[in-house]
This record gives sequence, structure tokens and C-alpha cells, in this order.
Amino acid sequence: MNRFIKLVSLLLALCLVLAAVPFAYAEDEVIDAELTCTITLGNWPPDTAADAEKALFEGYRATMARQYPNVTLVPDYYSYSLSNYVPMAKGHTAPSIFQPPFTDPQLLISQGLVGDVTDALEQFGVLDQFSPSYVEMLADENGRIYGLPRDGYVLGMHINIDLFREAGLMTEDGLPMYPRTLQEMAEYGQIIREKTGKAGLVFPASETYGGWLFTNIAWNFGCVGENALEYQDEDGRWVCNFTSPECVAAMEFIRDLKWKYDILNADATTTDWAGAHSLLGTGEAAMNFAADDSVDQPTANKGLPVDSFALIPFPAGPEGRYALAGGTCYMFSPDITGDQAIALMAYLKVLGKLPFLDDEIIAGMRADYAAKRDRGAPVLPAISAWTDESYNAAKQAIIDEYCNVDMRLYNDFFDSISEGTITLKSEEPIFAQQLYRELTAVVQRVITREGADVTKALLKAEESFQEYLDDEYNDQ
Amino acid sequence: MSGARGLESAKAWLIMLPSLILMTFFVWEPLFESVRMSLYKTRNVELVRFIGLENYLSVMKKDDFLQALTNTFSYTFWSLLIGFLLPIVLAILIGETRRGKGFFRTVAYLPNMLPGLAVVILWSSFFSGGPTGVLNILLSTFGIPPQTYLTRADWVIPIIILIATWKGAGATALIYMASIAGISPELYEAATIDGANVGQRIFHILLPAIRKLTGTLLILQIISVFQIMYEPMVLTKGGPDNASLSLMQLMWQYAFGGSMNYGKASAVAVIVTIILLLMTAVYSYFNRRESDWE
Repeated sequence: MNRFIKLVSLLLALCLVLAAVPFAYAEDEVIDAELTCTITLGNWPPDTAADAEKALFEGYRATMARQYPNVTLVPDYYSYSLSNYVPMAKGHTAPSIFQPPFTDPQLLISQGLVGDVTDALEQFGVLDQFSPSYVEMLADENGRIYGLPRDGYVLGMHINIDLFREAGLMTEDGLPMYPRTLQEMAEYGQIIREKTGKAGLVFPASETYGGWLFTNIAWNFGCVGENALEYQDEDGRWVCNFTSPECVAAMEFIRDLKWKYDILNADATTTDWAGAHSLLGTGEAAMNFAADDSVDQPTANKGLPVDSFALIPFPAGPEGRYALAGGTCYMFSPDITGDQAIALMAYLKVLGKLPFLDDEIIAGMRADYAAKRDRGAPVLPAISAWTDESYNAAKQAIIDEYCNVDMRLYNDFFDSISEGTITLKSEEPIFAQQLYRELTAVVQRVITREGADVTKALLKAEESFQEYLDDEYNDQ
Repeated sequence: MSGARGLESAKAWLIMLPSLILMTFFVWEPLFESVRMSLYKTRNVELVRFIGLENYLSVMKKDDFLQALTNTFSYTFWSLLIGFLLPIVLAILIGETRRGKGFFRTVAYLPNMLPGLAVVILWSSFFSGGPTGVLNILLSTFGIPPQTYLTRADWVIPIIILIATWKGAGATALIYMASIAGISPELYEAATIDGANVGQRIFHILLPAIRKLTGTLLILQIISVFQIMYEPMVLTKGGPDNASLSLMQLMWQYAFGGSMNYGKASAVAVIVTIILLLMTAVYSYFNRRESDWE
């Protein structure tokens, strides 16, 4: 009998263990075995990408395979541009997830070209944790969410310290004597031009870039509030205002950068974003208006050592100190189903883009920062698009482990944001790309024709953009 | 008899059928759709409502249209000035070469084998402003300070045409050479016996012989240059201050430059087509009249 009791006890214990093992497995690994769908993932690293980056994404895929065994991931090398996305969306061939810049979501939402993920976000419990400004950018008028922030950025200025050193613009601590104001920027740029023969400032003024950068300068000259570049009147009509004294003064400042101070790069009107980074990285220019999310461009991509590089706050203007805040987001095909939306949120969670931290996510973040460090790109504090404080603090602690720069070269930039000494401002609210295009034409005119009539050029741009606003919005 | 003719006719249609199908789907249908779209208010590629000629009026009253139209004619003018005679001269020179004709023919054609974008990027380095531009490096050996080229509104179109000519002249020269090769050598021999020099042989035998071809290539060149797009798009993005903006680039901007206004983009495309049709008709008219006189 004793033997029988022992045997039964042993069998019971064995059953318990056997029952417990799959339970533990299900809890730790498989999150949803019922979810069955296929998602295509844009921006998957191509075969030519760095091995570390490819391995990172393969790791994400393996994690998804464990957690959602019936979700099939199809890598897609698609890289978003408005021109290639529209036909794909209309032809039902857009990838399930892609990454547009923050200038485009409202246009895509208004045109019905992206998928709604509100319900999926609610299911993951993160709907209320967005930074409100991001919600504003990624939702429609009914509050339905169509995108998630990938990276937030704040526009500042990249500095090539070698050129500052050559021009004698260094403090006793061995730090660059960087410009706090736009006026100082012009003066320092002039010194750099005289002492080194290189451009003080690279100003990419092709396509829409010139207008894009000009808006931030214009804000610092006072083009905000009642002097904003575009605003909605009492009847709800959008009105543009390029001819305010503040806007004219800002454009005259741009003209002076070329004709009075002569600090701009030679081919500003054909220089684009990548070209600007290239000029700074290769030591052809000392300053470049650029953000914290592109610090790898002049460094890792163009060979500027990280200790020759600094990131500073956007210089203040006579009427204020604003910095453009924007970024890249994730958006989704208009054809996604409810299950696909959930699978996509799960994928973003694995990527660490939702405010969750677990071992897998932390491992992914570590791999990401290690890859950055190995490439020679600065590993910097991140500007979070989420309001969850514990998540942000935990993330910062990991970043600190991989930080490869002298933070004195970056502190002012990040402190200006955290201490609120600089005001963050999102892009102009409506048809920003078209606005940039109109203003870029004016920028190009004033930096290529010494005698250009600034007010007249701005008036022409204002009339043209107003007509556009009327056609596309006011008269609809 | 009529049965046999019917069979012949059916065979002819069968032979034409693949081409007809391809033309219908890939040429005529898109053309028709483009015209149709230009008459509608659009929401991306969807037709929202019929608005008649509103897209045309809206496009044409804007300054950038006038600028693009003027620029496009300017492109055509410069292409005729720089690029029309050059292939003929090249063809004559290579044709007159006694040794290494094959080599010169290959060298002349070589730029045409390079991808268009690569050519533009290559030349952008050449015309890059500042001390690192290739042309500026060359000029600096003569003590000339660095200049800017692509940021000068007056220079940008001739420079773009220069680049397009560098790429395309060799291919056109080959066509002329083929035509020149078809001229009977007896004519040259007779002219030489009569004491005609090289210049006289060119003006009295060669040029009249290739006149028809010259006319055809002239109209093809105008059509091609009128649709210039990727060169200014890559090199200058239409700048500075729209100084190199072409009509086709304007069309691209309406469609893909941020506003996704395919209706207006189609209107620009149709306007370009109409202008080209008119120019071709004028050429054909004079060409026919000339033939009638002959």
C-alpha cells in the first residue's frame, strides 16, 4: 500500500511538472498562437546592409516567430516616398508597414491611403501614452490613429569642431565656441570662411529643404502666433502670411548670409539634405542645421570622428528661440485587417517602439546601440515620443552604457529641450511640403540674385501658396 | 477571289494583333485616361467630379507654369543651338577619317551607353561650385578663382543642354553616318573629277542627301528635349528659383511633389502633348509643301 501511495504521488508530481512546463512555455514565449495572418514589412534591411543590422532584424523575426507562431513576416525592402507610395496603395500592393516622415501623415490620412490601428493600440494598452503632439500628427479629426512615432527629432545644428579649431573659435576647455544666436552664427561663419576658406554654414536650398529650414529661422524672427506663416481665420479658411515684417526680416537675414557675410556653401541651391551632411562630414562646411536623429550622417557615413562633432541647439533669433520637432513615423497599408493591425503592433513592440521593456526588447536596444557605436555613430540620449516616465528612464540607463561621446558636446542641445529654454514647435500645420516649395523658391532667388526684392518675391510666393490653399482646402 | 482576300486580310490582322493589343493597353488607353483625368477634380488617382477645363485654367494662370513653359522653349532653343549641328559635324568628321574610324565611332557613342543618371551625377561634380569642383580645379591652374555654375539662373539651362548633348550627340551622329554611308560614292568621284573641294562636296552632295533625315531628327530632338525632366531634376531640382524648371518637371511636382494633384498633372501633360502635336504638324506641313514643289 505504501508503495502504491508512493507510486501515485510520483505520478501526480510528474503530471504536475508536465502540466507546468507547457504553461511556463506559453507564458514566456507564445503570446498569441491564435493570431493568424501575414504582414509585409517595409524598410527591411537590404542584403547590402551592415551584418549587424541584418542580424538585428533577423532577431526580431525570430522573436515574432516564437511569440506569434502563426503570424508570417514577409520582409520588404520598400523605402517610402510619396510618389512611389500612392500607386502602391491604390494598387493594393503597399507593404503592411512603412515609414513616412512627419510631413506626410495628414495628407495620407485625408486621402484615405493609410490603415487605422486605433483598436489594436487600445488592445495593447498604449493608446493614451502618446505624446499629445504626436497624436495630433497621426490622427484624423475623429481621433482615430493611423500611425505611430518611430523617432522624434529636434532640429539643432551640427558642428564640425575641426573647422572651429582651425578658425580659433575654441574655449579654454577645448570646446567649440558655438553660436547662441543667428547673428553670432553669421559672424562666426564669417570668421571660419576667412580663416579656413571653407563654408561657415551649409544651407541646403534645393527642392523643399530651403523652405523647411527657413520656417524655423522665420519662427525665431517672430513668425508665430498672429504672425504665423499660415493660420486659420474665423471662417475656418487657411490663410498664408509670408509678407509680415518678421518674415521679410527673416528672408533678408538669409540674403545677408550670402551677400553680406558670405558664409554659405557654393552650390546651396543644388544641395540637398544628404549633400549638406556630406559637406559637414568632409570638412567643407562648419555648421549645418540638422537634428539629433541624423548625427550618424556626417560621422559614421562620412567619416567625421565623433570627437570632431558636436550637436548644439538651434540658434535663437531676435524674437524667440524655437526648434522644429518632428520625425519619422510608422504607418500602415489601407488594406490591413484587424488581425494584421494587432500583428503589426506586436512587431513594433518587439522592435521596442511601443513603451514596453522586456528582456527581448532590451536585448534589441542593446544590439542597436552597439551597432551604432561600432559604426562610429554617436550614441545619444533619445527624445521619447511616449509619456511613460519609467519606460523613458529605463531606456536612458541602457543608452548611457553605450554612450561613446563627450556629452559636453551635446548637453546644451538636450538640456535646452528638457529645461524648456528652447520652444519645440511642429511643422506648419497644413500642406507643409507645398509651403516649403514656395519658400524654397524665394530662398533660391535671394541667394542667387544680390539685388532681389525680398518683399516682392515673398508676395509672389504668398499669392501662389494662397491659391493652392484655396484650391486644395478652402474652396472644397 | 473575295474569300482569298478575306483570308489575307485576316492574316494581316492576326499579324498586327499583338502590336494593336500592346498599343491599346500601353499607349492609347493611358493617353485617353490622362486626357480624361485632366478634366476631373481628382483625389489621388480617383476621379471625384467633372470640372471641364478648370485644371487647365488653374495651371496656366500660375507663374511657375509660364516659367516652366519659357524654360522648356529655352531648353529647345539651346539644344538646337548646341546639339543640332554637332552630330552632323561629328558624322562628317568621323566619315572623313581615314584611320581608326571604328575607334572614333565607338568613342563618340560611348557616353550614350552610360546610364542617364550616372552622366548627370558625373557632370554635377564637374560643374560643382567651390574649390572642389572639377572645372574649378582646372580653372585654378590658370589662376581663376572658383566660380559657381549651377546656381546661376542664366547659365543653368545651357549647362544642362551641354550635358544632354554630350550624352546624346554620338548616337545621333551614328544615324547620320549610316545615312551618309548610303550616298553613292560615284557622286563624290564625279564631283572630285569636276574639281569640287571638301566644302563643296559637303554642301552640294552630303547635306542635300541627308536633308530629309535631318528634318526627321530635328523634330525628334524637339520632341525629346521638350520632355526633358531627369537632367534638371537631378542636377538642379528645377532651381535656382525655378530657372531650370521644365514642363515635365512641373507635371511631376503636381503629381508627386507633395500635393498629389493628378488632375493638374494630367493637364500639364496634355498641354505638352498639344504643343508637340502643333509643332509636328507645322513641320509636316512645310515638309509636305517642300516635297510638292520638288
